[in-house]
Amino acid sequence: MNHRKFILSVMFLAFALFCFSQRDSPGRLSDSLNLKVSYNSSLIYPGARLGAEYSVKSFNVAKTKKSGKKKDFDKERFVSANLGWYHHPNFQDNMYLTGGWTMRRTHSKGFFTEVSPEIGLSRTFLGGTTYKVDNNGNVSVVKLAGYYYALLTVGGGVGYDYSKVKHKPFILFYKLNLLSMYPYNSTIYVRPAMEIGLIYKLRFIGNVKSKL
Amino acid sequence: MLSQNYNLMQRIIGYLLLLLMVSCQKEKITIGTNVSETFYLNNAGASMRLLVQGNTLSHTFLIIVHGGPGEGSFVYNTKYITYHIENKFAVVYWDQRDAGASQGNSNGNNLNLPQMTDDLKKVIELIKYRYGENSSVFILGHSFGGLLTSSFMTTGENQTMVKGWIMVDGSPNYPLNDTLTRQMLLRVGQQQIALNDHVNNWTPIINYCNAHPGNFTLAESNQLESYGADAETYISEVNQFNLLSAMEASSLIDFLPITAVLVNYLYSSDASFNAVLDKTQFSTLLYKIVTPTLLLYGEYDFICPNELGEEVYNRISTNDKKNGNFSRKWPQFHVSG
Repeated sequence: MNHRKFILSVMFLAFALFCFSQRDSPGRLSDSLNLKVSYNSSLIYPGARLGAEYSVKSFNVAKTKKSGKKKDFDKERFVSANLGWYHHPNFQDNMYLTGGWTMRRTHSKGFFTEVSPEIGLSRTFLGGTTYKVDNNGNVSVVKLAGYYYALLTVGGGVGYDYSKVKHKPFILFYKLNLLSMYPYNSTIYVRPAMEIGLIYKLRFIGNVKSKL
Repeated sequence: MLSQNYNLMQRIIGYLLLLLMVSCQKEKITIGTNVSETFYLNNAGASMRLLVQGNTLSHTFLIIVHGGPGEGSFVYNTKYITYHIENKFAVVYWDQRDAGASQGNSNGNNLNLPQMTDDLKKVIELIKYRYGENSSVFILGHSFGGLLTSSFMTTGENQTMVKGWIMVDGSPNYPLNDTLTRQMLLRVGQQQIALNDHVNNWTPIINYCNAHPGNFTLAESNQLESYGADAETYISEVNQFNLLSAMEASSLIDFLPITAVLVNYLYSSDASFNAVLDKTQFSTLLYKIVTPTLLLYGEYDFICPNELGEEVYNRISTNDKKNGNFSRKWPQFHVSG
């Protein structure tokens, strides 16, 4: 894949998600859409992630245990699209686009846990000038040197949904992800990553408008 | 109008992202006394990391050809090297294909000794391209790097590209290496048992060596190497190499990609070409070598016994040669010594 096409595809998807989220019509997409932004750190190396998640299923579970204790929580299922990036000096910059499935369980007080597998495509950029030497000893610089990889991530996280009790339109979350990239030198590259971020619930924009 | 603005915005953001990604790939060549710069050589499906540190103003470059295969060069980047060699010369830490921080896609078919010999040739050409054709290049092979540098030095006119060849506990002949390791395990093991030292550890080693007299399979070769590594821990005179301490010294400075180093090592150390290496020897070609050669071996190195140094010394044609034995194993240049 051409690197320019890849970058443009990523940009197109990000803009499309953003534009859809701004649509204001009956049965609005934004009622089910959340936008995510996070700091995406891998050990000490910085990065960022942008994404959107669309709720496809949501239901409440209320149980009374034998002990008489009541359990009340929401289960939600989302499809998501995310654009991630990290910068590992002298090694690589990695830009990756993923689609995923998120399973989130939110308790009535707002605390939640979630698990999300994602698949996608990664494009790395090597962390230094890259040269090619031909069989006659002629040296040339390889522009935008790097590789495409198939990418699979599995993540689990915790967070707090401010809309449950405080009626604020955002969620704070912390998540650990394990990235795996294939084929990396004929094997699989794995890399842990940590996300701290904010999810904004777009349906609250509509609510504010209706009050006005 | 809206569409034009959208396209313009998309283009600007696209270029900004590209700028961010490629800013680290801008060519930078530094001539100085305290240099540290990373660049990559792309060859036959692999992008191999080269870290140059030290005194490039000297125009003398020592290329570390690491062991393994798959070990990576990071374990050689220690304080000892920094304070005793990098202040005088430039050291080139080369991560071979499928090792260290080297990257690529499905390139396992190119993981073989002739390809790696070609890689080393191109590493030298690249060093001379960056730092000047008049640069003096020395290659230092350790363990498997001894086999790789033997291959390089005995192929074509390659040896004319370097000013000197250094072997540190290197192996030019794997079948001979296995035989010598077995002999050493038996000899030293029996001495240690006679001294009542680590008897429970030495007994299974001696039993194994007695049961496997020669013509070794890859599994036997690996077992002998494993016993060799164990044996070094039973000798009180041997300085133990602390890998974690070496990583501490270099990992953050070099932005070491720990998981890449690990998966590359696991892949390369188990790759099918190890079976070919196990039968590979360059003893019969060493007569070709007329380049100044320095051989350094440790007295208690069971993995690459010092008789390998004698093998090289006796076979090469140059008169400018020196064979130095050390009373201790000399892992990664006295990192813990």
